[in-house]
Formats: sequence, structure tokens, C-alpha cells
Amino acid sequence: MADLRLLRMRCYWRLAVFRTGAVNAASGSAYAEIGDTKVIVSVFGPRESKKAMMYSDIGRLNCNVSYTTFATPVRGQGSDNKEFSSMLHKALEGAIILDSFPKTTVDVFALVLESGGSDLPVVISCASVALADAGIMMYDLVASVSVSCLGKNLVIDPVLEEESYQDGSLMISSMPSRDEVTQLTITGEWSTAKIHEAMMLCLDACSKLGKIMRSCLKEAALASQE
Amino acid sequence: MEYVNPEGIREDGRRPLEMRHLHAEIGTVARADGSAVFEMGNTKVIAAVYGPREVQNRSQQLNDQALVRCEYSMPNFSTGDRMRKPKGDRRSTEISLVIRQTMEACILTHLMPRSQIDIFVQVLSADGGTRSACINAATLALADAGIPMRDLVTSCSAGYLNSTPLLDLSYFEDSAGGPDVTVGILPKLDKVTLLQMDARLPIDIFENVVQLATEGCKAVANYIHEVLLENTKQLEYRRGL
Amino acid sequence: MSVREWMVGLSAGEKHFIQGGIAQDLRADGRKRLTYRPIYVETGVIPQADGSAKVKMGATEVIASVKLDLARPNPSQPGKGKVSLFVSCSATAGPMFEGRGSEELSAELSVALQRCLLGGKSGAGAAFDPSCLSIVDGKLCWDAYIDGLVVSADGNLLDALGAAIKAALINTRVPVANVPAGASLDEDPDVDLSSQETTRIDTSGVPVIVTLTKVGRHYIVDATSEEESQMSSAVSVSINKERRICGLTKRGGAGLDPSIILDMISVASHVSEQLMNKLDSEIAAAEADEQM
Repeated sequence: MADLRLLRMRCYWRLAVFRTGAVNAASGSAYAEIGDTKVIVSVFGPRESKKAMMYSDIGRLNCNVSYTTFATPVRGQGSDNKEFSSMLHKALEGAIILDSFPKTTVDVFALVLESGGSDLPVVISCASVALADAGIMMYDLVASVSVSCLGKNLVIDPVLEEESYQDGSLMISSMPSRDEVTQLTITGEWSTAKIHEAMMLCLDACSKLGKIMRSCLKEAALASQE
Repeated sequence: MEYVNPEGIREDGRRPLEMRHLHAEIGTVARADGSAVFEMGNTKVIAAVYGPREVQNRSQQLNDQALVRCEYSMPNFSTGDRMRKPKGDRRSTEISLVIRQTMEACILTHLMPRSQIDIFVQVLSADGGTRSACINAATLALADAGIPMRDLVTSCSAGYLNSTPLLDLSYFEDSAGGPDVTVGILPKLDKVTLLQMDARLPIDIFENVVQLATEGCKAVANYIHEVLLENTKQLEYRRGL
Repeated sequence: MSVREWMVGLSAGEKHFIQGGIAQDLRADGRKRLTYRPIYVETGVIPQADGSAKVKMGATEVIASVKLDLARPNPSQPGKGKVSLFVSCSATAGPMFEGRGSEELSAELSVALQRCLLGGKSGAGAAFDPSCLSIVDGKLCWDAYIDGLVVSADGNLLDALGAAIKAALINTRVPVANVPAGASLDEDPDVDLSSQETTRIDTSGVPVIVTLTKVGRHYIVDATSEEESQMSSAVSVSINKERRICGLTKRGGAGLDPSIILDMISVASHVSEQLMNKLDSEIAAAEADEQM
């Protein structure tokens, strides 16, 4: 389908690649590779909600993040799945126009093939590309970026090793063209000024990442027209 | 092991026929229809009652009586040793069932057909006799919720250690492995609704121990009556009557 | 979200009343937007735990307990004890928490509290320094298990749990473990715990959690569950005495403008000072009560 798209971001960024249509059976899917972190997200639905669930006049979103057994340096160590699943849900739900598919459910299944740091941000960004590929109505794409605080320095898009030594981290998911934050988490001790600095850094990066995601989708659309 | 010393004093300083300190409070969970805290010594239990209300799961609806449900849970910090276990293990399922059956027997379920009553019992701190404390708390919570009952069920346990019948066993005495008899009675009707024992005991001694536990139940019943009366007075006072 | 929808059924008129009240700075229970409900603290409520506390905020009631277990420290952090934190919601708080119904909310609260109180990977920003739990470096330490239990839920659970954990930590007495001289610590160590002596955890750095709930264009603190059902989003910030941010979690689906988030952080930091003082005096009073 889409061409392999390579875009070199600013020097301290890792290489980011997005590609749609990775899973044929799904309504929409995407593959993302940022540095060593490799993720596949497939989207199924909208399908009828389970009978047991109550009537709802807006759509439901069901998210699940899992790790392959070989994703981590030590076999089968990919944890935090439940936490990641709920964080993915929260990051996406604000961007999807849930009113557009009442009584139905959309499933988002993310599989981390290789964990190379900043897993959750990559999963979130990739999931929003997959949702767009599935034709789910959204206000905007969701781009997500994290920064680690190492001593006095801020490191954007940290790799696994940096994450294990971090003093604190800040993760933002944002809708770049609307300039809105859908999810924000901070751990560790921060001063207000530092938060401000890190947020600006992240938002700037989100808007750049958003452009890459957008161009990937455009190219996929062009390729399918031809 | 010596559980009763030659002077006839137990490990926590009680006499064999002495109960632990009782304490009860009504209306502790503001959002519930009825709720109560019941303490027996260091054992502390909260019960909350929701209902009667519409049956949530239609397939369980009973057309001639109310559906009574019960869930018992025990947090991992309530006992001496800390362990993580999921909700709904066998022990708590069994206790849930015991509480449900005991309470169902005294609620006038035929007055509330096609409705559901939920009893949730939460142990905060366990030091023996949780079963009895749960039933006593549930009774108070049901009374607070204004649910029609035949009588107030009360419960108490007794055991038999060092050839002495002991009233209201603590965790230390309970874990000695001797017999532990839990009795639940309807004090006004003078009927037994619950009787459980998990060891071997000669029949004449068994009668003595059951008699002792029943006496304990009556003492609890007196206390519960006092608490409810006091609570009603308070309510009356607040209404300005 | 499903849990929250379950809890309150509001008519259109009630929704309008709540939203209108918040817009006019006069909430349904007579409070202003940035006023808390009265807070009650009781410490030492669970005799089996090493430290425990109960906190009531209006109809919200939570219990926190701290339990210490002897353990072998993690080889990568020889001088520190392990700290873990879990929250569970009791079914007494409402029928929707029956069975597995509480898992989703429990997990959400646990993660948010871990983020707010346990600090980053390197331990920066943690509520207290886990090196005070060490007994013999690399050989023996206390593992601290912090458990939260929601007994009655009427909104603002995270702030209440944060306050209860703070009180429980202040209430915690760490037993002094005397290791017999010359004892080999490589096998199961024989430790003398008979002495009545105890030490305390340094709790000066424990932050408070302030949740600002955004309803319409305004934000409120200490929302009741009715008010929470009307929120577009909420930001929980944990702030310590030095007014530094130790963790932040955003809840609720709607997107927020970055400048609004920064404004919310500064409002939260302002509110935290009052809350911290109020809480400190309540905890001190509860501790004094318990000593009596």
C-alpha cells in the first residue's frame, strides 16, 4: 500500500516511520517504528456492542496493549499492559467523534514488537494512524511524545536505557492542529518552570510528529487512488 | 499450649465466659440505604445495604419474593500476615453464602417481590469471630435500611479449649485448632438459624458450648437493641419530635 | 467512565443546576469553587497494621494502611526497602463495585497514586526516602506495603486517598530490629524484634494531591460525584511542601489547551498550601488523640 516513508527528524530525535495497512484482516491498521521501538496497531469495527452492555448513544472504545515475548531484553518481561491499555484509551477517547457510531464498539489492539523506550507514546501515535486508516471519524490525529528528566537535562523521546535512569518523565498526547492536550502524565519531582519548558518541547515535537503521520496517510490515500 | 491459665484467665485477660468489648455505629456509609460498623474487640466489620431496588440481572428476578445477595470481602491488610489474593476466593464465597442464607431467613422477602437487596460486608480488621461480626453488622445495616425482618438475627461463637468452654474466640484461640461453634439466633422467637462447627466434640459438651454461644448471642442482641433504640431516639430528636 | 455514569443518574434540570452553580461560584452544597468539604482524620484505625488512618471528606471515606515486612533488598538497590502501593474499592461504596466491578477504578487509582507518591524511576520526587527502611545494607530491609481502601465514595477519591496515605505514613512506627552480632545474614536471618523501640518515617516530603475538576469553563476542587459526572476533564497534581510538582495525571476525555493546564497547575499549587496546613493540623490532632 503506502510507500515506506522515512523522515529524519531533528538530530536528537530517533528515526520515525509510519505505514498503514499492516494487517489485512483489520478494518484499519498501522505499523510504526521510532528508533528501536516497533509497534503494530490494528483497529476492528465499529461492531455491535456486546448484549450485556447497557445501551449507549455514543460509541465505545476498547483498547488493549500487549507485548510479544521477545519485545524486551529479558524474555516475556513486557508488563504494565493493563496500565498502558487504560492510558491508550484515555489518550484516544477525546480525539474520536464517538457520537458518529452509537451502540457500537471499536477495538484497538496494539502489539509492541520491540520495546526500545517511549513505548506508550509510539503506541498512541500509531493507534491514531490506524484509526484514521480504518475511517473512524476523529477531530484530529493524536501525536504523543515523552521527555525524560535526567539530572538537569531534558531528553526528548528517550530510549530504554535513558528511561531506566530517569529522575522524572512527562508524557503528552496532543491534537496538533487543534492545539489541545488529550493526555498528560508527569512523574518525579518538577518545578513549574521545568514543566513549562518540557511541555513546550513536547508540543513542538507533537506537531512535527503529526505532520509525519499526516503525510503517511496522504501517501496511502494517493496510492489507493492510482 | 495453655489457653486458660490455672487462675482461669485467658490469653487476652478475659474470663472463659466473658465476651470482648462490643461497639456498633449506624449510618457510617452515607450513600448506602443502610449501613453499620460492628466491632468485637479488634475485629471490625462494615456492612452496607443497597435496596430494595430493581433487579439488575433480569434472569435472576423472583416473582414471589425479593432476591437477596451478599458479598463478603476482606482486604489484605486486615489479618496479621499480609497476602495478596483476588476477590472471590473459596473462603469468602463460603462466608458470603452463609451470611446470605442467614439474612434471607429473617428478611420478609415475600413483601418485596421482583426486587433485589444487596448486602456488602467489608472486614477492616480480623481477629477471630469475623463470621459473627459480619452477621451482626448486616443485621444492623438491614435495620438501618428499614427492611422488614422477622427478628434481628444475632450471632456469636464459642469454643472448647483446655477442657473449658470459651465464649467469643479471638484469632489466637481460633487458630489453636479446637472446635469453633458459630451460632446465629432469632432472639425474640428463640430459634436457631445458623449453626456451624468445624471439629470433633462429644455430644454433651457440644450442648454446653452451643448453650454458651446462644447466651452470647442474647447478650449481643441486647446490645444491638440498645444501639438501635439510641439511633431511633437520635433520629426523632433531629426531626424535632 | 462507565463506573461514573452508573453512580449518578441526573435529570437535565439537575445537570443545569450544578453547571450553573459552578459558573456563579456557588455550588449545590453552598461551597465556593475552591473550598474543600470538612476533612476528618483518624489515625491508628487498624490495630494489625504498622500505621493506618481513616480520612473523611464529606460522604467520601477512605482507609489507608502501611504494613512492614522483613525482606531481602533488591540487589540493584541494596540500601533501600521496596515500597508498593495498591488501592481497592469496597463493594460497601456502591453496588457497581461488586465482584470484578471495582477492578477498573482500583487500577486507575493505584496507578495515579503510584505516579503521585512513588516518584520517578531513580526515586526523585518520592513521598519519602526508602533508605530509611534499610536494616543491614544489601542484606535486610523492611518492605512497605501501602494499601488504600475506599469505603464510601462521593467524589474526589484520589485526594482523599492521598491524604489518608499521608496520615498513615505519619502514623507508621518502624520497629527497631536488632541484628545479633556475628549472625550470618546469608541464610534466613534471625532478627530480634522484641524491643519496644520504634522509629518514624521522615514524612516531611510527602506531597498532597489536589484534583481540579473542570466543569464548563471553571475548575473546582473536591468535587462530589454529582459534580464529577458533569466534568469535561480533571487534572490531579501532587505537590510537596516546597511547592514542587511530584506527579500529575489527567483524567477525562476532553482535550485541554496547554495554557489552561499550566494555569490549573498554578491554581493547584496555590490551593495545595491551604490543604497541606489543614491536613497537617488535622493529622497532628488525630495523633494526639490516639496517644491519649
